[in-house]
Amino acid sequence: MIAGARRMLSCRFTAARLQRYLDADPSALLDPAEVRRLEAHLAECARCARAVEDFRSLRWAMWRMSARLRPDPAAVHRMHQVVDELVEDRR
Amino acid sequence: MHVEPEIEVLLRVARTLTGSWAEAEDLTQESLVRAWRALDGFDGAHPRAWLLTILRNTHVNMNRRRRPDTVEDISVLPGVRPAFGALAEPSPEEQLVRNILPDDLERAIGSLDPKFRTVVVLVDVNGLTYAEVAETLGIPLGTVMSRLSRARQRMRTHLRTHTDREGIVR
Repeated sequence: MIAGARRMLSCRFTAARLQRYLDADPSALLDPAEVRRLEAHLAECARCARAVEDFRSLRWAMWRMSARLRPDPAAVHRMHQVVDELVEDRR
Repeated sequence: MHVEPEIEVLLRVARTLTGSWAEAEDLTQESLVRAWRALDGFDGAHPRAWLLTILRNTHVNMNRRRRPDTVEDISVLPGVRPAFGALAEPSPEEQLVRNILPDDLERAIGSLDPKFRTVVVLVDVNGLTYAEVAETLGIPLGTVMSRLSRARQRMRTHLRTHTDREGIVR
């Protein structure tokens, strides 16, 4: 029973930090002790390990969508022209 | 000028905020003009964050009736282009996992409340950092993280519910 409660606490600890762990965003990095504890839990908890796999799949699918959502090069060119005109006007 | 390397990012984020490429171009153009006027007061330190703040304020000013942190139907993808180039390359581990079908993904995104959808699209599709999303939407970093976490949890639940398999991948 104590082991079960400990596991549950560890699952909560992991769930609360999982997105930051996966993103490794510079403004919200986990400290090394948190990373070690989280990875140790993932090694022994199939449920949390499956969540990691799912979230990685999700990020990969979103990344593929980002490639489909690039702006038209002509629009990018027009925006560069806007900047060029602003620079030109100041001279 | 600091803005030129950021033009494509501005267009992508503007597309997320407005829901259309035409409006994204108008918003980006107006933002560039405002940025140019404000250039003398800019310290040059974080041009993307500075520009995203201008983009947000411009968006609010241009369309006060619409909340700045909502996004239009992501399933409408005008100007969808073949996949070439990308923002941040996924890790080899991510590339190895099997794919979620695009239709399932769009339905999962569409199922989200707009305030959650906007954050997950800005991070995962537009490639912004947490801090940049906070600048873009004018919300605290902690709110960005909590909305992102909830958005991904809900998408995972949606995908698991609607794919009838173990895990969300196919």
